[in-house]
Amino acid sequence: MRKKLLLFSILLSILSAQATFSQQTDRITGFFPGTSFIRFVEIVEQETAYRFYLKESEVEDLTVNLQAKDDRLEDVLAVIFDKTDLKFSISTDKEVFISRGEKLLVRFPADYFLRNTAKDASTGVQDEFVRNRRYTVGVAGPGNEAKLSGVVTSLESQKPIDGAIVYEKESQRQTITNREGKYEILLPKGNQTLLIQNIGGYTEQRLLDIQGDATLDITIGEGVFSLSEVVVRSGALSNVTRPEMGVQSLTVQQMRKLPAVMGEVDIIRGILTMPGVNTAGEASVGFNVRGGAADQNLILLDQNTLYNPSHLFGFFSAVNADMVQGVELYKAGIPASYGGRLSSVLQVTPKTGRQDKIGGSGGIGPMTGRLSLDGPIGENTTFVLGTRLTYSDWLLDYLEERADLGASRAQFGDFNASVQHRFSEKDKIRISGYYSKDKFQFDPDTVYSYSNLNYAATWTHYFNDRVEADFSVGQDNYDFQVQGEDNALNAYRYGFDVTQNFAKALFRHEKGDKHIFTYGFHGILYDLNPGEINPFGAESIVIPDRVPREKGLEASLFFGDEYELNDKITLSGGLRLNWFGNFGPQTLPDYASGEPFLPENITGESTYQDGELIKSYLGPELRLSGRYALNNWSSIKAGVNTMRQNIHLLSNSSVITPTDTWKLSDGYLKPQTGIQYALGYFRNMANNALEFSVEGYYRTMNNLLDYRSGATLVLNDRIEQDVLVTKGRAYGLELYLKKLTGKLNGSIAYTYSRSLMQTDPSEQKEQVNRSEWYPSNFDQPHTANVVLNYELSRRVNTTLAGKYSTGRPVTLPSAKFEYAGSERVYFADRNSFRIPDYFRLDLSINLEGNHKVDKVAHGSWSLGVYNVLGRDNAYSVYYIPEDGKLKGYQLAIFAEPIPFVSYNFRF
Amino acid sequence: MKRIVLIIIVILGVLQACRTPYDPEIPAEQSSFLVVEAYLDSEGLRSELKLSRSAPIDSEFEFTPETGAVITLSSTTGESYGLPEAADGTYIFQADISEDKTYTLDILLQNGERYRSKEMKPIITPEIIDAGFLTDEEGVEIFVTTQGDANADDFLWTYEETWIYRPRIRTGFIYDASIGNVRDRTQEEQIELCFRSEVSPDILLETSSRFAEQVVFRKTIAEIPRGDERIMERYSILVSQKAIEEDAVKFWEILKKNTEDIGSIFSPLPSLIKGNIENVDDASTPVVGQVSLGVVRQTRLYIDRVEVAPWNYLDPEFNDCVIEEEPTLIASYQSKFGNGSALPARVYMPAGGTTVLGYFASQRRCSDCTLYASAIRPDFWEDE
Repeated sequence: MRKKLLLFSILLSILSAQATFSQQTDRITGFFPGTSFIRFVEIVEQETAYRFYLKESEVEDLTVNLQAKDDRLEDVLAVIFDKTDLKFSISTDKEVFISRGEKLLVRFPADYFLRNTAKDASTGVQDEFVRNRRYTVGVAGPGNEAKLSGVVTSLESQKPIDGAIVYEKESQRQTITNREGKYEILLPKGNQTLLIQNIGGYTEQRLLDIQGDATLDITIGEGVFSLSEVVVRSGALSNVTRPEMGVQSLTVQQMRKLPAVMGEVDIIRGILTMPGVNTAGEASVGFNVRGGAADQNLILLDQNTLYNPSHLFGFFSAVNADMVQGVELYKAGIPASYGGRLSSVLQVTPKTGRQDKIGGSGGIGPMTGRLSLDGPIGENTTFVLGTRLTYSDWLLDYLEERADLGASRAQFGDFNASVQHRFSEKDKIRISGYYSKDKFQFDPDTVYSYSNLNYAATWTHYFNDRVEADFSVGQDNYDFQVQGEDNALNAYRYGFDVTQNFAKALFRHEKGDKHIFTYGFHGILYDLNPGEINPFGAESIVIPDRVPREKGLEASLFFGDEYELNDKITLSGGLRLNWFGNFGPQTLPDYASGEPFLPENITGESTYQDGELIKSYLGPELRLSGRYALNNWSSIKAGVNTMRQNIHLLSNSSVITPTDTWKLSDGYLKPQTGIQYALGYFRNMANNALEFSVEGYYRTMNNLLDYRSGATLVLNDRIEQDVLVTKGRAYGLELYLKKLTGKLNGSIAYTYSRSLMQTDPSEQKEQVNRSEWYPSNFDQPHTANVVLNYELSRRVNTTLAGKYSTGRPVTLPSAKFEYAGSERVYFADRNSFRIPDYFRLDLSINLEGNHKVDKVAHGSWSLGVYNVLGRDNAYSVYYIPEDGKLKGYQLAIFAEPIPFVSYNFRF
Repeated sequence: MKRIVLIIIVILGVLQACRTPYDPEIPAEQSSFLVVEAYLDSEGLRSELKLSRSAPIDSEFEFTPETGAVITLSSTTGESYGLPEAADGTYIFQADISEDKTYTLDILLQNGERYRSKEMKPIITPEIIDAGFLTDEEGVEIFVTTQGDANADDFLWTYEETWIYRPRIRTGFIYDASIGNVRDRTQEEQIELCFRSEVSPDILLETSSRFAEQVVFRKTIAEIPRGDERIMERYSILVSQKAIEEDAVKFWEILKKNTEDIGSIFSPLPSLIKGNIENVDDASTPVVGQVSLGVVRQTRLYIDRVEVAPWNYLDPEFNDCVIEEEPTLIASYQSKFGNGSALPARVYMPAGGTTVLGYFASQRRCSDCTLYASAIRPDFWEDE
């Protein structure tokens, strides 16, 4: 596909170069940095045959600020006169008439006889200027809106295209062509940018000046060169115009440009380049969004929740980037249809199968091999199939010689499959599955393994043009095991697992032109095994132990509305009502009322039957955000949203470890709740080439989990005795500048953020740091990310990525003393020290293969160096006794520059 | 489950291709602060208050006692009692004070720093109702039974163990270089009966209100696994029972938990320890110490090996200890025993003879208990 595209673009550029040559005298080339319009006219008259007729008084304040290269005068003038009331007309004799207000009629408009049936001018290879020329369509009449209709046909086959998206950039209105390729869309009058996208194909653009109802037929081809900045996806974001804030999206193409560890394109590393997203450790499983814990992120692979999004302790994301179309991270402005976690939603959109033929892609890197296939099966069915497997053992063997890795072995793999079938114009179904497995051992006797297993079926039904719905059901499962057999007597198997069954109905309803409603229901049935240990083998004398299974039901009703109040103000709001119940069978202790949950306060116990409700919680979640457009290129947005979380990760080390187990809210542990207020300023600059945003936020969180000193979380069936009721607050400022186009593109992000916790003063068990506010484990005030991408040529592009962050807080023993007959260790206040600051630079070069048409596969090489400077960034610090005294060490995981090469191919 | 945690530490250890020393700068006031330890008996039992300084975590030096401090216990009604310094950093309190009043402790250091305790009220610790031991195949378990009351709910027990230590090969002989011959050891020179003594670092806490009628029944104080050295002959334990206030429970709990872990990657988050002492001039100065007032109840138990038999104590370290088969004759005494590494152990008297011709030697490490323990008999020690 891409091969074709590139080929086409080259063809196109050759053609347009010729065109330029032949009409050289008509085209405008030059750099006009604030030149007065009068001067501009003089230059144009000197270099071309055009002659201008104008009143100097009308244009004396006008300056020209642009760079033109072989552009048509019409286009250049349209840009110059944009946002003025000046109009121009050009006669066939190249006379240019400039007037204020009314356009001078110098001839019959070129499309005079085609009014009401403006026909797309393109034939064969489309001139790039077709897309940049503004067409006037329709006859002026009363009303602010006009109906535009027409047929979208294929450039190659001349057949109508079914399911093409017709979309208006500013007002975000959209429609889909029917089987006959017909569409109908209601648009505001005036200058509009219409985008037409063939699903899975490319995008065509038309600039329109809509006067009244009109017909516009468009041809669109698969091979048509597509402007890279107008990739239209559902929920496509526009920095300035969307009402929601705190939303970041990343396409897989952008991810591919980022330098990879061991050559693996990684979605989580991709989102870590965005402002407000941090990680506590270089190789930690989780990421932290706006001062929230790692378990407060909802990671959705399509409709499925991923409980462990990583391979090999967090070195790699568990999602194969080849299987991904893009990711969207909601840090605030979370739509009402999402819920269940406190901090963020990471929506991973999987790839859908191509429709023309079976194709595929794959890659070979130092650690893994990948292969995927996708394409049509029959007329209405497409499939995607992909797998990734590791062969990392040779690498560990190699490292072993250098780093004493012992008998380390690590294997992981993942597998994605999905089938999509269209039953009719109105119904389609998608069935998808995901499985990942990790198995590793660092000594011959202890094997760790974990796996994710997810599957779902989604039925999409279009009731009519305005109402559509997705109905999905599925299951998510995560399972963790440790098997230790260093000695037959003590051989054991420890494990825990989480299973959730879900059902979701999501309706999307366009009500009039100003409202888009989303509403529905989301139910999750949880079944958790928080932990159990069993003897392994016949000789083992390990005593079996288990924490009783937990069952819970979460049900949510939600309603959201996107409401366009007027040109300036768009509101997006929603309400989600969340009910959670914890169910038996369970035998639980009763604690004396008003007393802390401690063994000495147990007064008795209660037994709950299977399915008996133990405790339920009901709470609303409010999502509200609004945009106020200051002008076409800048806006202010504000939002507030509240969230609830009923499932918690029990973790009291600063980085997530695989042994951290999950726990449901129950009679003792209340759901975590939080509220976030956010305010932002968004601005596009340099003709939308630069996107800039500033966002500030303030969050408070309740019922967070922190733990008493010395709490053991593994196989602890009375966790409430070790949990401290903790409050949290976080605030920060995020600055983001992104350049999307040009040879040099990339982004710069800086975040100032704080994340603080406080033991509730009413907590009687223990008060961390005297109940004062203390930094959370992932409080990293300063974070900066830079990604610079430079396209040396069409085939070579280089990327430099840098990351800086303040070291995360740690609690350190600061002194020792003698007490009660023994030497004791004195710890400084919790999290009052920090590990050294983190800084890393990565470099990568992507080499595309040649573009011969008849090549079987299109290959590309990606090579680079991770941690170019070889800085030994501390991952953690710890103390071990050596010769009777404690010595501190810092541990770096990637302390040397790590080069990588990987080969990717596509066919 | 500690195993899993341990294994993970190993795993991360494995990745430590790049482990570099880490020496964060710790402010001096955080590494050298005052430590106060005392449970002052209100009924006239001689009790000690210890003042010392903490040391940096990587220090190899001993803890320095805080000497020359002026310590006063004063009641709200004006009585005050001084605590004179008996040894470096050890201050003595011995007074029968009214248990109805509240007291504060003031400490004035040589460097002028002033510390004061929160108000304390003496707690009359209930008597130890019963103390004893149970034997099973695992070993011996020493317990106490007591009963709390309205004023004394929380208990802290500490204990001190003393036991007879015998060398593998006993000898009553000594080579006396001044006479160039072997003679019998005097009482002062004996090396076959020693006493080992240890103050247990264990911190034992219990809340009596957990139990019916506040009876703490057979609270386990110490466990001695079968075959342990401590009951090789005769063993004694002094259990001290102290009732403490609720705040003190938290202090001791934190102390206990912080001791069990030392800040490894996966160790649970430790918490700050403080106590009831504060710097008068700057409350933010770190100081550690929980001073309590009350009555210390003590009981001493003895356990003899015969009571718990079979009790086969055998330290494998001494399995190579044998008496030499070749006797050392008088001419070789100086060369054999002169440097002290070998000791005369048994008399060499050929069959039928009546004269000592020499001695069979044993290694000093097998015969001299003073290498491992003290030959001085503790004052309290009672034989059966």
